[in-house]
Amino acid sequence: MFRFKREQFVVNVGGVKFGGQPGELATVLCGTIFYQGHKIVQDEERGAFDRAAADLLVARQAELSEETGNPAVLHLYARTIEALEKYLAFAEQAWAGPVIIDSADGAVRAGGAAMVSEIGFADKVIYNSISVATSRTEAQAIKDSEVDSAILLAYHPTDSGVDGMLQVLEGGAAMAEKGLILLAEDLGITNKLIDPGVVPMGSGAGASLRFSTVAKARLGLPVGSGIHNAVSAWPWLRQKDKATGKCCDGAASAMQILAAGDFLLYGPIENAGFIFPAAAMADILVAEAVHDLDNEPMPSHPINRLV
Amino acid sequence: MTTQIPPRRKYFEESWPPVRGEYAVGDPNAGVAVVTLASQLRVRGAAISGPCKTENLGVEKIVANVVSNCNIRFILLCGAESKGHLPGNTLLALHRNGIDEQGRIVGSKGAIPFIQNLMPDAIMRFQEQVQLIDFIGLEDEAKIAEIVEIYNSRAEPYPMEPFQVLKKKAHAKVILAGEGDLLLGCGVVMDTAAWLVVADAAGEV
Repeated sequence: MFRFKREQFVVNVGGVKFGGQPGELATVLCGTIFYQGHKIVQDEERGAFDRAAADLLVARQAELSEETGNPAVLHLYARTIEALEKYLAFAEQAWAGPVIIDSADGAVRAGGAAMVSEIGFADKVIYNSISVATSRTEAQAIKDSEVDSAILLAYHPTDSGVDGMLQVLEGGAAMAEKGLILLAEDLGITNKLIDPGVVPMGSGAGASLRFSTVAKARLGLPVGSGIHNAVSAWPWLRQKDKATGKCCDGAASAMQILAAGDFLLYGPIENAGFIFPAAAMADILVAEAVHDLDNEPMPSHPINRLV
Repeated sequence: MTTQIPPRRKYFEESWPPVRGEYAVGDPNAGVAVVTLASQLRVRGAAISGPCKTENLGVEKIVANVVSNCNIRFILLCGAESKGHLPGNTLLALHRNGIDEQGRIVGSKGAIPFIQNLMPDAIMRFQEQVQLIDFIGLEDEAKIAEIVEIYNSRAEPYPMEPFQVLKKKAHAKVILAGEGDLLLGCGVVMDTAAWLVVADAAGEV
């Protein structure tokens, strides 16, 4: 609940704005579809899925976005390039907003960058992600593509603290030739979104929250995270009922927003029903807290829709 | 005169396994640990079993929980490899090659194969204590149980004390406060480098 002294950049991807001072823009919420183990996926290698179920999930996220004022992004996770092609075809038809393309396999991500360029979809795509694991081959594929928006994953494999994450972004991490910000610019990425890379609780998840504030103060770039990963990787919580898990997920999302987060990779798109209200509530509270600091909420902000 | 019987050597602490995670503890006296990689499999007869999806933190947890139980002499790698992360390949590389000065697991093809929380002697102990049995891709639970049984019969406890992996402590740093770069209003600023909130004596910022 504060104002950054440094100017805060606003990134616009496919009409959705990320960033700004706390309380100005609503938090962008990115729900993942076709993730590993997603029940609607029938064949994750070939990208076969239950189209009707996918339509419902995507429509629900769009409805909640419209209702709350929190912009939404569709986060596509694909195991293979064949699957990604089908998921992108689906997204083109069923989703009007920006899309994150993601895979654990660098070759799939790289292939995705080329594919969206060929089909004229690159301006709506956010590449997830550029990290210390980005190989030269993958980097070249990004450079050769028309993708200009990416998440920069500040995960530092041997220093999970705030300093380590900043080193990854700014340079100085021993395992990378240059910082990710410079690397991304070299690859033609103009819209840079920062993600600390949330590790499990007990391994330093909390540092992601402090990093969010520090990174915005220092770089002025939009910051967000997949804080839900800290919740889902918590073995103790898995023994509890679903309602308890949802409560923790919603609380973690609100904490990320309170720590100046601009976007949330909120995990399974099925969770939209409780994440959107939790995020909207956090946005409203933050906007109210900073209203006398010159942080004016946009007309579409949840504070102007829900209270 | 009574003969003193030396106390039986402890092969693991009562609190074993020391590191929490997504695993099932079977018989701590068994000689095999089973890593099912990205697959969710029911494993019988193992000391401990569970998936491992990451090539850094997941691998570290396996090492910590294995070297703290001397009974475990074999690690069976099975199940589907986690694409991109390649924890199975990474475990094999760690066992074969260890890590370099930066903590990178030498020879791993995983995305970010680094060790953050283990000291080099823990990795040496891991290399010495266990053999890795590579059945990556195998998901047949009956076949896995057979392999576990075979290697359990071959396992003799490692002839050293259980190795407790201590997490490296982050060194405390003295951070000097700089300029307030985050404004909370009413003359209160925060220096996010030092994470200090201060009230400006002048009042307005």
